[in-house]
Amino acid sequence: MLEQINQLADPIGAIIGFLLTIMVLSYIIGDNALFRLAIHIFIGVASGYAAALILYNVVLFQVLVPVIQMFSTGKTDGLVTYAFRVLPAVILGIWMLTKASPRLARWGTPVLAFLTGVGAATVVAGAVRGTLFPQVGASMNLLNIHTAPAELNNLVGWFINGLVILVGTITTLIYFQFGIKSQEEGAPVQRSVFMEYISTVGQGFIVITLGVLFTGVYIAALTALIDRIRFLWDTLHIF
Amino acid sequence: MTDVICPLCGKPNPPDLDECMYCQAPLKTGGFIAPPESESELSSSPSTSNKPGEAEQKAPEPSASSDLEQSIPDWLKQTEADFLDLSEVKPEEPSPAELSGQFDSLLSPPSTPPSSKENAIDDDWLASLLDEAGVGKPEPPSLQEQAPEEALKEPEPEPGSEMYEEGANLAVEGSTEEEQLSPTQPAEKPDWLKNLEASSTIKLEGDLFSGEPEPIEPAVNEIPEEKAQDQTPLPDWIAKTGSIEPPPSPQEPAESPIAPAELPNWLEALRPTETVSPSAPVEDLSGADIVTAGPLVGLRGVISAHPSAIRPQKPPTYSIKLRVTDEQQARVEMMKELLANEEKPTPLASRPIITSRNIFRLIVAVVLLLPMVWMIISGSQQASTPQPGNIPGVVDFTQQIQKLPSGAPVLMAFDYEAGFSGELNIAVTNVLIQLMNKSAYLTLVATTPTGPALAESLIKNASSSLVGTSGAYSNYADLGYVPGGTMGLLGLAKSPRSILPYSLESDNVWEGAPLNAIASIKDFSAVIVLTNDPDTARIWIEQAGPLLQEAGTPLLMVTSSQAEPLIRPYFEAKPAQVQGLIAGLAGGLAYGRTVGNLQQNGIWDAFSVGVTVSFLIILIGSIAGVVSKMLAASKKEN
Repeated sequence: MLEQINQLADPIGAIIGFLLTIMVLSYIIGDNALFRLAIHIFIGVASGYAAALILYNVVLFQVLVPVIQMFSTGKTDGLVTYAFRVLPAVILGIWMLTKASPRLARWGTPVLAFLTGVGAATVVAGAVRGTLFPQVGASMNLLNIHTAPAELNNLVGWFINGLVILVGTITTLIYFQFGIKSQEEGAPVQRSVFMEYISTVGQGFIVITLGVLFTGVYIAALTALIDRIRFLWDTLHIF
Repeated sequence: MTDVICPLCGKPNPPDLDECMYCQAPLKTGGFIAPPESESELSSSPSTSNKPGEAEQKAPEPSASSDLEQSIPDWLKQTEADFLDLSEVKPEEPSPAELSGQFDSLLSPPSTPPSSKENAIDDDWLASLLDEAGVGKPEPPSLQEQAPEEALKEPEPEPGSEMYEEGANLAVEGSTEEEQLSPTQPAEKPDWLKNLEASSTIKLEGDLFSGEPEPIEPAVNEIPEEKAQDQTPLPDWIAKTGSIEPPPSPQEPAESPIAPAELPNWLEALRPTETVSPSAPVEDLSGADIVTAGPLVGLRGVISAHPSAIRPQKPPTYSIKLRVTDEQQARVEMMKELLANEEKPTPLASRPIITSRNIFRLIVAVVLLLPMVWMIISGSQQASTPQPGNIPGVVDFTQQIQKLPSGAPVLMAFDYEAGFSGELNIAVTNVLIQLMNKSAYLTLVATTPTGPALAESLIKNASSSLVGTSGAYSNYADLGYVPGGTMGLLGLAKSPRSILPYSLESDNVWEGAPLNAIASIKDFSAVIVLTNDPDTARIWIEQAGPLLQEAGTPLLMVTSSQAEPLIRPYFEAKPAQVQGLIAGLAGGLAYGRTVGNLQQNGIWDAFSVGVTVSFLIILIGSIAGVVSKMLAASKKEN
């Protein structure tokens, strides 16, 4: 019986996927009931799947299964260590459930504050250690002569590439320089002409960057559309 | 010590002064000598207010200050006489407010502190002057003459009430004392005052300076009826009030003309029994002070209010009508209309399906879709797939995979959404096939909920694509979902054994080879992150990257096209934070070429056509927009 269900799972899934794809693509003619229905189905399925995954993957396999395994195998030596490691998380997790009740929500504030503080510290430390310092160091080494290629052709490209990156970095940072000291009382505040030109160059780099990002998003969407078209054709071809 | 009253300003002056210290009027030639201080204090004491009759009897007696009458100049006498004439002829001429104020000053309560010496002297002098002039108490206007509002502002005490009695006592007392001190003969009382005295319940008899005060009740009970009947006709309100009989004594219960009502049972049950038969002891208030002013006048045992603070008057009337301008009224109406419209349920406007906008949208969709659909249906492979050397990161990625030893533990993070499977699955499948060919031990994790399902699906598809193998690939462990976001990822990087102790099949994979040698993420041979989100890729680089760089473990990434621009700097940095990168469909196909998989089933051709058509649509649309704007501008100029 289970094997038959497994054999039918793919065809049923293909049919459901085909119908849902058609419903989503119906947005070409504008907002309609089929599109909204598909969106509602996706939201509901995603929420249910996430809840089931949390219960199955986190609560069961990361909290309960280790205890069951310890007692079933008789290896209870690490039970205390495991309890010290898991119990605080379990207690804080249950404590966090008070946020679900408006009357008890304020009791969950310490847990939320703890999570926020630890999360902020983790993100800031990681950004400084993993992005800020390494990227600043890499930008400083762009035109380092010791890292230059030996071949002349590569040397020109290396120099142009490094120069463009250096100019783009500097001009973009200057574009975001908004603090200007007022020279006279009541006089209009304005940057110098030289700085205005440099910030205009930086603005051009920003526009190019945003254009590249938009292009990447568009290409990703176009690839997904092609994948759906191919899926529709394969489904029709199979049936 | 007596003070000399200034005849001009009426203020007391020391006797040694020849001129008034306030108005410089001569004092020696005229003026009034204030009564002795002891007398003034006595006159203001409450003990003297209980014997008004005696004061009246003593008033005609000549006083010690009668010699001063001779010293009054003729002009002052003439002025006084004229004033008296005017007062007798037109007693109602003084304004009621002024007279009421003067009368109030005369009716100063006994509680007035004797320290206010000067005020007392002024009041006495003024009382004597008014008494002599016969206007000490103005004739009460009839009810027809009295304005209703004034009647409400200055309600006259009812005769017979204690307030009225005390006021009368004080008035008579004041006049008696002044008559004693005045050098002139008392002026003839006006008729209204005689009538008032006759109708009063006070008997003006007795000794003025008797020691013990007598209660008021006996005086009230001693009203001679024949005396009241002999008087001239009284005004209506006085007659009514004068005819009020004294309250019946407790020994003579009055007949109640109203039959007692029969209370219903429920009301009887609700009635407090304490009021009917009080059980608490009654407090003895006989020794408490009597309130002399205010609405609680005559009561004992309550806090007495200052007379000046209690001035019964008609409460001011405020108009409840708002004064708004027409503009404000118009705005109010507009706001009401807006609120009314907000409360009305408005059905959504049914937009017609066939519109110019929808038609244009359909045209663009058809132009874009038709070439791609045709390429997929035909399975065209006309366009050459991208070369690995032209896509940055692909060659490096391939080299890192090739460096892996056989059976090496590799951590793979499936952190992309299912919607990007069309873009990433080609590259991921090729990577999995290459790793399976090396018999790498795949440790699958995911920081997105859909990751575990995607991992299982791709492992299944990749194992079915392996050449020369029968059965599914089993050299892997799916550890499932890593909760906690950034913090969970940091925990996984430092101690994966603690974060994910068991696989989804309830196996403790950390006890067996090769994961038993793994203490942190740097112990893996390689870490491959599959993601479509640049933030997820950055978090992996920031949290796990430093540990991996310490151990020299390569961090490889398979990303979507939208994440590539943000991940590329980490790859191109020196030293590189990402050692290999496959981005988008082009990167996946290029990597497929490196591993010998050239199948693309028309996808790359469709992609190429789609990009070209999109570029043309954007270009044509931009040109059309610019041209239309230029035409509109030229039309506007013309």
